Amino acid sequence: MSVGAITVDGVSKRFRLERNRPSSLKEAVLRIARTRDADEFWVLKNVNLDIAPGSFFGLIGHNGSGKSTLLRLMAGIHRPTVGSVEATGRLSALLELGTGFHPDLTGRENVYLNGAMLGFSRKQMTASMDDIIEFSGIGDFVDEPVKIYSSGMYVRLGFAVAVNVSPDILLVDEVIAVGDEEFQRRCLKHMDMLRGKGTTIVLVSHNTDLMAECHQVGRLDHGRLVEVGAPDDVISAYLEMVDSSDNTLHTHDN
Amino acid sequence: MQFSLTPTLSPSVRKSITLIYHFAERESKSRYKRSLLGWFWSFLNPLVTVGVYWFIFGAVYRAVPPVTDNGNAENFGLYLFTGLIIWTLFTGLVEGSMEWLTSVSDLRKKIYFPTETALLGGAASNLVQTLLEVAVLVVIMAALSNIGWTLVFLPVAMALALGFGLGLGFIVSVLNARYRDVKYLAGILLNVAFFAVPIVYTPELLEKEEIPGIARGLVEWNPVALFIEISRDATYFLQVPLWNRFLAAVVWSVTTLVIGWVFFRKQSMSISEEP
Ligand SMILES: Nc1ncnc2c1ncn2[C@@H]1O[C@H](COP(=O)(O)OP(=O)(O)OP(=O)(O)O)[C@@H](O)[C@H]1O
Ligand SMILES: [Mg+2]
Repeated sequence: MSVGAITVDGVSKRFRLERNRPSSLKEAVLRIARTRDADEFWVLKNVNLDIAPGSFFGLIGHNGSGKSTLLRLMAGIHRPTVGSVEATGRLSALLELGTGFHPDLTGRENVYLNGAMLGFSRKQMTASMDDIIEFSGIGDFVDEPVKIYSSGMYVRLGFAVAVNVSPDILLVDEVIAVGDEEFQRRCLKHMDMLRGKGTTIVLVSHNTDLMAECHQVGRLDHGRLVEVGAPDDVISAYLEMVDSSDNTLHTHDN
Repeated sequence: MQFSLTPTLSPSVRKSITLIYHFAERESKSRYKRSLLGWFWSFLNPLVTVGVYWFIFGAVYRAVPPVTDNGNAENFGLYLFTGLIIWTLFTGLVEGSMEWLTSVSDLRKKIYFPTETALLGGAASNLVQTLLEVAVLVVIMAALSNIGWTLVFLPVAMALALGFGLGLGFIVSVLNARYRDVKYLAGILLNVAFFAVPIVYTPELLEKEEIPGIARGLVEWNPVALFIEISRDATYFLQVPLWNRFLAAVVWSVTTLVIGWVFFRKQSMSISEEP
């Protein structure tokens, strides 16, 4: 498989729900005696998806449709219950806030830690440290523990690391929205630049303007990938669906 | 011809090594965070420990220690210290593992990395601490000229305790990620286990009639007692360990490590799904 490609092959993901999960040993022991009831929840159901190297792929869908879960599977954070996910090349992911930062460490230490997780040595990270600090625009705060950062600063530094390590694959989950206007624009510009360099980008967003920029958009609905195609088609289908089911809250107790 | 190690390491191995180093460094730094004397405490701690035991068991209780190789180091404080080093290494690994895994579990929900690196890094940091204690012990023993070639068994005893402690650590840390009571349970069990290991008493104490055979067997063949015995043979009695007890120690250590590792590899992926 070529570098930068993502293959999602027949993937289903099951979570055990909190209310049915034993949280103490005593409960766990008592549970053995009881029969298993419907204590599982399929978040993703038989998802098949091929993302070509260098493409810009968008994911949309209602809250709880499984977008973040799919990204986490691509990032290797979760293991699929059924099927397989393969992502070749260096992968860097920005999933929600706090993107793999340790609250007690300073921004700088976290950059090293993040780098180590991406497979970069200390030396390599030192080389790109200035670029990262510069891009994030957090200045002297880089030597303060990240727990005192504002949400925006968190995301700024996380994004700065994720994009400055020249990834082959970049996964972004709605985080940009937390930054201010100036930063959002900078991010988009930088993602454009990465795209130009052939980085595969997968973006989850509820921002349809942003989605329109993608090569391809996939729509998730209750864990099923119901549609993959040109942005305009998929987005209008999505909006139609939203309009038709106005005011119906999608939850998973279906 | 030039030999180089680095190109033969796969990227994922190299990544793991970088992470282990990172976690080890972090653990070592946090140990004496915000302290002026830093590593000095690492030496002071064991020194004071030996001193206190020396005084209490030697001068106050006048406990009779077993005779050392040359009779010079005959002191219950030292006898106790040889055992305590191994015990501390072992419990540090078991209790530390749970802490190390908990401390990275939030991180692991947001980014993929091999979680075992957190445990291995913590273990490395603990090992450094143990080496400092060992240095204190060896210096004292050398000063009392109770030292010999049997010292080569000391690293072996440490390695065996490391394998066993880490193996158990792999298991309890994963269990603790799911059920937080494991930490408390382990704390209690370790407190009890302390007395199942001849640290504050000598194994000869068990040769009394009124002690049931089971209790004696438990104390004589439990893994930590076996490791301690090897370390004492190495530094205190200066004799070669009995081969059958040595073999038992190796079997305990290797089996526990293998089982723990397999269990951890199978279960640790689900840590990211814990609420
Ligand atoms: N670790 C977990 N354990 C149990 N259930 C989970 C877990 N993670 C996610 N879920 C459930 O899986 C479903 C899909 O979640 P996911 O975060 O993938 O949705 P999403 O499409 O990203 O939604 P949003 O638009 O709100 O970000 C939700 O119902 C959520 O409650
Ligand atoms: Mg989401």
